Amino acid sequence: MANQTATSFFSRWLEVLFNYRKHTGSWAWILHRITGLGLTIYIMVHIIALTGLLKGEAAFNEEMALFTSPVFLFGEWLLGALVMFHSLNGVRIALVDFGNGARYHKQILAFVYVLGVLMVAGMAYLIFLH
Amino acid sequence: MNTYKFFGSRNSGAKNWYLQRISGIILVIVLIGHYVLMHATPDSGHTYKAVMERLHSPFWKGIDLTFVTLGLWHGLNGTWNVIRDYHLKPWVANTIYVLMILLGLTFWFIGLNTILSF
Repeated sequence: MANQTATSFFSRWLEVLFNYRKHTGSWAWILHRITGLGLTIYIMVHIIALTGLLKGEAAFNEEMALFTSPVFLFGEWLLGALVMFHSLNGVRIALVDFGNGARYHKQILAFVYVLGVLMVAGMAYLIFLH
Repeated sequence: MNTYKFFGSRNSGAKNWYLQRISGIILVIVLIGHYVLMHATPDSGHTYKAVMERLHSPFWKGIDLTFVTLGLWHGLNGTWNVIRDYHLKPWVANTIYVLMILLGLTFWFIGLNTILSF
């Protein structure tokens, strides 16, 4: 019963998500929440991971060796992409709310996408090739 | 003439809206430093010795405490903003709210414990 309610809630959510007419800012809004939720989960994982510092140097180095393995480096890059979009779009939101950004929010969003892709490509260079 | 009584919350969320933006701006600034220090230069940022050196200085302790506190608050307040957009029954919303506060406090204390142990 509870499961059925959850399913209908989710299908209704998907229906609204796909049928709602999306303007320029809608995708920024959707991406901002998805990246934000991801980052909230990540900061908790990060807090737990850093408790390794309490176990001394050997345990910490062992953890760091794991975190610098290829799979984790790829994760770091993915995380960098989430952070990059969320912070650039966050600056856009602050400009719209506190400044005169509502007049040119579409241009800022274009800037967010271009600068974001360039910075994430730069991160790939720093992480994988540097 | 109809008279209406407002049964909703007195809290409009304006303070949270404002603090969400202020904490976000501070987080972006701290994050730039965090990226340059930890990710762009992983060798100098991640060794046990370098981390210990930073964790013994009050300045870095302050930065770390700010980061953990604002990061968790900004993240959980943002999650609450997402949840509030859906039409949930009051008891469901209240339960989620209480659980999120407990979750935030738990992780905040874990982070505080790590930072203040040195």
